[in-house]
Parts: sequence; structure tokens; C-alpha cells
Amino acid sequence: MPQAPLASKDGSLFRQVLKCYETKQYKKGLKAAEQILRKNPKHGETLAMKGLITNSLGRTEEAFAIAKEALRQDMKSHVCWHVYGLLYRSEKNFEESIKAYKMALRFEPESQQILRDLALLQVQMRDYLGYVESRGKILQGRPQLRQNWTGLAVAHHLAGSYVEAENVLKKYEETLKNPPGKGDVEHSEACLYRNAVIAESGDIARALEHLESIAKVSLDKISVMEYRADYLLRLGRKEEAEKAYRALLNRNSEKREYYKGLEQSMGIDPEDRRAMRAVYDELAEKNPRSDAPRRIPLDFLEGEDFKQAADVYLQRLLKKGVPSTFANIKALYADTAKRETILQLVKGYLASMETGGEVPTNGEANGDKSKPSEFKLWTLYFLTQHYDHYRTRNTAKASEYLNQALELSPGTLELHMTQARIHKHSGNFQKAMERMNQARELDTKDRYINTKCAKYQLRCDRNEDALKTMSLFTRNGMRVKNDAHGGPLGDLLEMQCIWFITEDGESYLRQGNLGLALKRFHAILKIFDDWTEDQFDFHSFSLRKGQVRSYVTMLRWEDTLRSHPFFVRAALGAIEVYIMLHDRPHLAHSSLSNGNRESTDFEGMSPADRKKALKKAKREQQRAQERAVESAAKAKEDRAKNAQVSNADGEMKREDTDPLGNALAQTKEPLEAAMKFLTPLLELSSKRTETQCAGFEVYLRRKKWLLALKCLIAAREIEKENPVAHEQTIRLRRAVDSLANGDIKEPSKEVLIAELESILPKQIDLESYNEEFLNSHKDSPKHVHGALRARHSLNPEDANIAGELANTLSLENLTLKEAIEGQTLLADLKAGSKDYNQKASEKFPDAAAFQTAVQELWGL
Amino acid sequence: MDIRVLQPSDIPHVQLANITNLPENYFCKYYLYHALSWPQLSYVAVDLSHSSGSPPKIVGYVLAKMEEEPTDGVQHGHITSLSVMRTHRRLGLAEKLMRQSQKAMVEAFGAKYVSLHVRVSNKAALHLYRDTLQFKVNKVEGRYYADGENAYSMRKDLTFLEEAESESEHEGEEKAEDVDIDGDVPKGGEKKKRKSGMKKFKLGRALGVADLQEVDGRTA
Repeated sequence: MPQAPLASKDGSLFRQVLKCYETKQYKKGLKAAEQILRKNPKHGETLAMKGLITNSLGRTEEAFAIAKEALRQDMKSHVCWHVYGLLYRSEKNFEESIKAYKMALRFEPESQQILRDLALLQVQMRDYLGYVESRGKILQGRPQLRQNWTGLAVAHHLAGSYVEAENVLKKYEETLKNPPGKGDVEHSEACLYRNAVIAESGDIARALEHLESIAKVSLDKISVMEYRADYLLRLGRKEEAEKAYRALLNRNSEKREYYKGLEQSMGIDPEDRRAMRAVYDELAEKNPRSDAPRRIPLDFLEGEDFKQAADVYLQRLLKKGVPSTFANIKALYADTAKRETILQLVKGYLASMETGGEVPTNGEANGDKSKPSEFKLWTLYFLTQHYDHYRTRNTAKASEYLNQALELSPGTLELHMTQARIHKHSGNFQKAMERMNQARELDTKDRYINTKCAKYQLRCDRNEDALKTMSLFTRNGMRVKNDAHGGPLGDLLEMQCIWFITEDGESYLRQGNLGLALKRFHAILKIFDDWTEDQFDFHSFSLRKGQVRSYVTMLRWEDTLRSHPFFVRAALGAIEVYIMLHDRPHLAHSSLSNGNRESTDFEGMSPADRKKALKKAKREQQRAQERAVESAAKAKEDRAKNAQVSNADGEMKREDTDPLGNALAQTKEPLEAAMKFLTPLLELSSKRTETQCAGFEVYLRRKKWLLALKCLIAAREIEKENPVAHEQTIRLRRAVDSLANGDIKEPSKEVLIAELESILPKQIDLESYNEEFLNSHKDSPKHVHGALRARHSLNPEDANIAGELANTLSLENLTLKEAIEGQTLLADLKAGSKDYNQKASEKFPDAAAFQTAVQELWGL
Repeated sequence: MDIRVLQPSDIPHVQLANITNLPENYFCKYYLYHALSWPQLSYVAVDLSHSSGSPPKIVGYVLAKMEEEPTDGVQHGHITSLSVMRTHRRLGLAEKLMRQSQKAMVEAFGAKYVSLHVRVSNKAALHLYRDTLQFKVNKVEGRYYADGENAYSMRKDLTFLEEAESESEHEGEEKAEDVDIDGDVPKGGEKKKRKSGMKKFKLGRALGVADLQEVDGRTA
């Protein structure tokens, strides 16, 4: 039975409650609701509104209790169900929310408000069929609004029905008696949207025809031109396509896609370099200030032609004094011959400058006469960058050129920054950081260099210093007072400063502070969650604005959001931490980890000592936590004093009860926690070996044998001889061979054994399998590392590992990073590192990692 | 360097470029607000030397909008933020980005002029705007930036583009290699606080998009 309506006085009070809620006057609304309830304590809808307002005041639990009570009193009220749905929505439990809205609609099927709320959730959850249904009903209710037609069309489009989508758009257009005037953005966009839908359905001929019919009313001229060029090309109408692409290039001669289109429409064979060059020469002449028509030919020209073109190009930029010349051409360095030619050319400029002669000029004369010293300066800078580039690295030579450049122009910031960079590349992070900080002090108003300095500080694990550097540009600086969000770190989190948070987390991981590492990686997870949520408002906003093409593009991007390398990097870091915590739970206490050098070697202790150490660590951690909470409380107090600047909309900031990440690190289920990071990786970045290898490690420990195998197979498919996957293959073989009967059930067991057999048959001797791998990859440090790791697991007593690892240091192609990885491997295997460090310190004399190790060895 | 319209998928790297270079920063939603409201107006410069599988690396961007409710009643565009990485200076990227954006403002939204703010101390940016791009100082806005610095409020008339739609760019032929930086600050922000006295307001991600029209990411 529906409840009896309220008496008229209470009815108007109820309307007041609604109004107060809408205008966010929560306290007043709550008062009015309570006034009604005094007389009508069982009035469901009033209870519901009370619950809604209570939730807005931040008391969620209480709100749910009230809303449930409301439903008990009035099961058939759409208001009660709607509110119930809204509460779930605010908790981000969209599934429950959708259910509640659907109940509400059973009692009030026409309600536009509820339909809209439901539709928003459906599209957010990508329930496109449900979305089509809701959008259809919304349109029936309000067909006079164009956005409702567009909304239904978008729903069909997302659901994959192009025909339906187009029909809806067409139907609306047919209702228009007079075409909207020029300048109607919504109409222009709706027409172009329809055109894009036709094209996406594959009917290019009709898309072109339709495009011509709307070209006049379209305000987005570029889209019209781009669509036309694309359609013409796809239809093989090459002459017209060529014209269209030339027109586009006329507008923007720096867009690479247009050049591709032009080449194709002219039917030029990319191998016909002469013909290609003629096209670009013509365009270069036509666009004297454009870079693209000059730079692109360097990609396809070869030999003498390349040399000539590169000469003109390089001189043009260097004489103009462009510091970023190297950045503009370094993509060519993948080609050995080209980088050799470039080096000879640029060295030639320097040589002729030094002999005082004219620099040979080719082709274009440059109008502005730059000072010769400027030409020389950037030439030297170019050579510095050449020798600092990872493909052609010779840090000693780089420093030589850099010093010459510094003599010419001691105040040029780029030079100081590059000096720091060279130190970094030679492995001296400390010196690199110091140099970068000196460079920063030359221009404290430049945030770019400030950013670099903070990054270098993080690479040295100087987290506090880095934060202090960053605070010079964050909103609240270092001020703790009036600190509504937790100091500079709070500012960086709020501004989604992903790079800093990730580097900070990685630094804590290096230091063995797994709590803070996890804390940072979880912050990245949260930022991506926020980005997912950010699209919510646009489901309605974009329809109102009438900008639908960009909205659909945005939805598609959001679908694969977590494939972004920013996410992948943090996720891999988090998974690594969780695996460490699973294998060695005592690492949750940072003072017991081996990350920083002073720490105790927990694993080498006697059981009694371990117990003692663990107790001490727990006590220390407890104290640190107390201190952190205390300072948070103090900040809160300060905040309260400045209360009028925050929380005006009633949104509650939850206190961070785990600022150091201790609770995160002490999880009882690290592997389950790792899944939050792993699942999106496996779904969206399955083509990366790192993903599959991380998946293997997690699943193997969770004893999910088939899933581990699946990751292994996938990794080997991406890169058959991947060294990590190689070691994992051997590990899986051994794990499976020692499986007890109860460990895995049929038919999974049968599948597991059969599949593994096809990768690495059981009868194969693992040691010789591994040695064979080692032999066929003995020139690749990474592969040697993988094989030696495997050998250690097969034969922990093998005494040759350290020696063989040291041999990798003689490899021509060994990078500093790989050498350091070798050092880490030795530490992991607890093998002697004396020879290795000695030899490495000779090969990388500036690398602190080896210097320090050698010094310690000699007791220095 | 590729110069093209900003796509939603560019936003993480645009955000990175912004927070690397400028003190005025914004959360993702504010970029989305630009990209979805005026998809034609914001441009990016992309470094092509990075591997093809990963998302394009943005080395410069212009984030632009139309003024939603122009106080003078004249349709005009506004540059919210413009920056180029220090590693890619003097290639003329800022200028190229700006020109594309301005043209689109006129064509797609009938802008009569474009406005922007620049720190009075930012000589390089001032040079770009005034000498290369022919902006004029409209007025000085006192204590516009959070750190108390004044801003030049600058404008450029765009009516010349209305007819010259098909003509190639001839103006500003002189050297334009210099750079630029400017990040916008909330229009209403500081001022509103003063005017309304005790009235509380909050800016942040939690706001609806509609509320973003008044403000930007710099929380009060």
C-alpha cells in the first residue's frame, strides 16, 4: 500500500527539504525533514530525503540505515528507491545503484530524472544495450530537445549499430522545418557526427556525398577538409585527394599525416627516393619556415643524397642557434650509417671554424646572420649530445666538448643541465644531482630545471630534498599552516603529478621502505581511478554542449586508459613489492630490509635474534606511525582554524590513517592485493613481456598453475628467447615436477602437463637446457643474467657463477644499467662480488655503485 | 615535430609537460573540459623520435577555450596555458601552435579576438606574444598569480582572419624562434573570494564540469 500523502503544511515542508538538498543547504534541510518526522515518524520519502542529506554531510553509514528504514516504510515509493540508488552511486557501487534505479522506475516509469540517472550509470558501466533502452525512453519523454535525439544516436553508435544511429540523427533533421542558421554549433556538430558514423560504418562513397551536402553548414572546417581528403584517397580519386591534401598542408604544414596522405594520393612509390624528394623540395620552397618538409626527407634519403640534405638541415638550425637541433634529428640514430654521416658533418663545421675558414654552405642561404660564436656554441653542444646519446655514448668525449662550450658561454643553462646528465649517464648520481642543483640555482624561476633537479634528487634517494625542491613551485609551498591537503606532497597528489609520485615510490622501493613504496604506487592507482570517474560528468555535459565526436573519442580512450605506460610502470613496481612481501614478510618493516646499507641482515640471524629484531622493528614502526598521525592531527587543527576556506560543499576529506603505508605493507594477503594492479595489466598491456612475467610470478605463488603457464606462453610468444621467461620456464618445470597429488585436480593437471611438455619436455635435462641457452646468448648480458639465475636455482653450490658474470663486463655492448643489474644479481645470489666490482669499476670509473663497493672492500 | 589537434588520449602527457614547465597546473578533468568543449582549439607538438608503440610524447601544447560568457558580449577565445619543453625551444613551436589555435577560434566559434595572461616578469613569453604574434597589452591585473605577481592581460584582434581564411600565413614573418610560457590562473578565483567576503567556495576535481567553467585547477 502506498503511504498516505502528507498534510498540506508538511507537504510544503517536504518541498522545502527537496529544495534545500538541491541548493546544498544540508543543515537546514535536515532540520525541516526532522520536523516532518516528528509528526509522521514513518513517512518513507521524508526518511529517504533525510538519508540523502545525511550522506551529503559525510555520514554514509547512518545514511544507509535511514534509507533502508525508508524503504521498509514505503517499498513502493520511487523516491525511496531513487535515494537508495543515489547512496550506492556515491559509494561507487554502480551495480547496486542501477538495480535500485530500476526498482524506482517500476513505480515511476516516466521519471526523466531517474531515467537520466540510470542512463548515466549504464554508459559509465558500458552497458550499451541498457543505455539504448534508457535513452529511447528519455527521448520519448522529451522529443523536443535535440540533445535527446543525439543521445539516442550516440547510444546506438556505442552499441555498434551504425544504421540505427544514423536513422535517429536523420529523423531529427527531417523534423526541422527550416535549417538552423549558420553559426549553430550544435547543428554543425550533429551533421559532422552523422558523417563520421557513416564513414565508420564503411560506406565511404556515401560519407563523401553526405560530407559535400553539409560542408556549407559545418563550422569545423578542418574536419571537413580532413574527412574529404581521407575519403577521396580511400575511394581512389587520387587527383582530387592530392588537391585536398595540398590544401590541408597549406593550413598546417607541420602535420605529418598530411604528408603521408599526399604521398599516397600522388601514388609515389616510397622506394623512389628521387620522386619523393622532388615533392618535399617543392613543399619546402613553398613553406620557407616549415620544418617538416625539410626534416622528413632525412628519414628516407640515403648515402650522398642524405649527406647533402643533412648538411643543409643541420647548418640551417645550428646557424640559427637552435639548442634543440639534436633532439630534432636523434631519431635518425637508429641508422648507423646516418649517425656516422651526421657526426662527420658536424665535426666538419667545428674544424672549419677552428681553422678560421668558411663553413661550406650548401643550398639555402640563411637570411639572419647569427654570430659565429653562437654557431660554434650549438655545434659544440650538438657534439656533446652526440657523445652522450645512448647509442654513441662516450662520456669522456661528451665532457670534452661540453667544457669547450662552457668556455664560450658559461651562463648557458642547457650546458649545465647537460653536464649533470653526463654525470648521470656515467653512473655518478650524486655528482649529477649536485650539478643539476647548481644549474637550478642559475634560474630559480624556471620550473623545467626545478623539475629535473627534483628528479635527480629522487634518483639519489633524497626524498625529502626532492620534495623541498618541488615545493618551490607547488601551490602552498612548504607552508604547513593553512595546509588543507597535506603539504607539498598533498599538492602534488592533487595535481596528479604522476612522474614525481612514481619516482618517489621507486626510490622507496630501492631503499627497502616497502610501505611508502606501496603508498605511492597506490596513489597512482587512485589517480587512474579518478580519471575513470572523470568521464562521468561528460555523459551529460557533452550532450548539452552538442560536442559528440570528441566525447565518443574520449570514451574509447577511457576504455583502455590503464594501458598507459604511466600506469604500467607504477603497477609493475607495486607487484614487485607485493611479491617481495609474500616471499619475505619481515620486509614490511623497513628497518629490517636490505635496501639501505646499514640495515641488518635479517635472514642471517638466529631464530631468537630474529624474534628480537622483529619486535624492535615493530616498536620503531609503531613510533614512526604515531609521530605521523600526530603531525597529521596538528595539521588538522591548523586547518580547523582556517575552516572557512575549505569543505564548503560539504565534501569530507577523509583523514589518512596510514601515511607511511605500514598497513599496506603488512597486508596478510599480498598476492591478492597485487591483483588490483595485475588485472588491468593483463587485460590492457598483454603484449608486454614485463606484464606476462609479472603475472607468472604472482600466479605461481598463488599456485594458479594454469594461469602461470598461460602468462609464460604469452611471454614466449612475444619474445621467444626472453631471458626472464627462460628462467621462469625452468622454474615452472621444476615446480610441476614436484607437484603432489592434491595440489592440482584433473582435468587441469592434464592440460598443465601437456602444455608444459610442448615448451620444455620433461625428459630434457634442465642443466644442459640452461647451458645451451647460455651458450647461444653469451653476448647478451641480460640473457647471461637470466641463465645464471636459473643455474643458481638448479645448483646453488655452483662456484663459477660469479666468475662468469664478471665475464659479461668484457662485452662490447654492455650498458651501465646492465652492469648494475649484474651487481644486484650477485647480491641476490649471495655470491662473492669482489672481482665483479673491481672489474666493473675499471670499466665504469665514474660509476658510484662500483666505486663504493670497491672502497668498502678495501675498508676505505 | 608533428603539430596537430589535442586528443583526449594526449592528456596524460600534456599534463606532464604542463607540470614540468609551469607553476599553474590542472587536473585531468580540466583538460578534458577543454578537449570536449572546444575540440578544435587545443593543439600539441609531438616528438616523433620516441618508439611507435607507446603514446606520443608531447613536447609542447596550447590549451585554449572560448570565453563562455564574455563580459563585453563579444565572442572571443582565451589561451588557458601554453608551454614548450626547454629541450625543444627555438623551433618556433609555440608560434605554430598558437596560429593553428587562433584560426580555429575564428572559423569554428566566430571569435573576434583572443586573450591571455602572462606574468609581467616573463620576458620570453612577452616577446613571443607582443613581437611575434602581435598581441597588445590590454591592462595589468594586479596580483593575478598565486605568488602575488601581476599579469599582463593581453589581446589580439582576430577579425583579419575572417576574410583571409584561405590565405597562407604572412604576418609575423620576422624571427619567431623564441619561446613562450604562460599558464592561466582561475579567472574568478582570488577575486571572487575578496568580493564575496565570507562566502566559501571550493574548487577541485569533485566539482561538476559545469562549475569548471568559472575556474581552473588551482584550488583556492
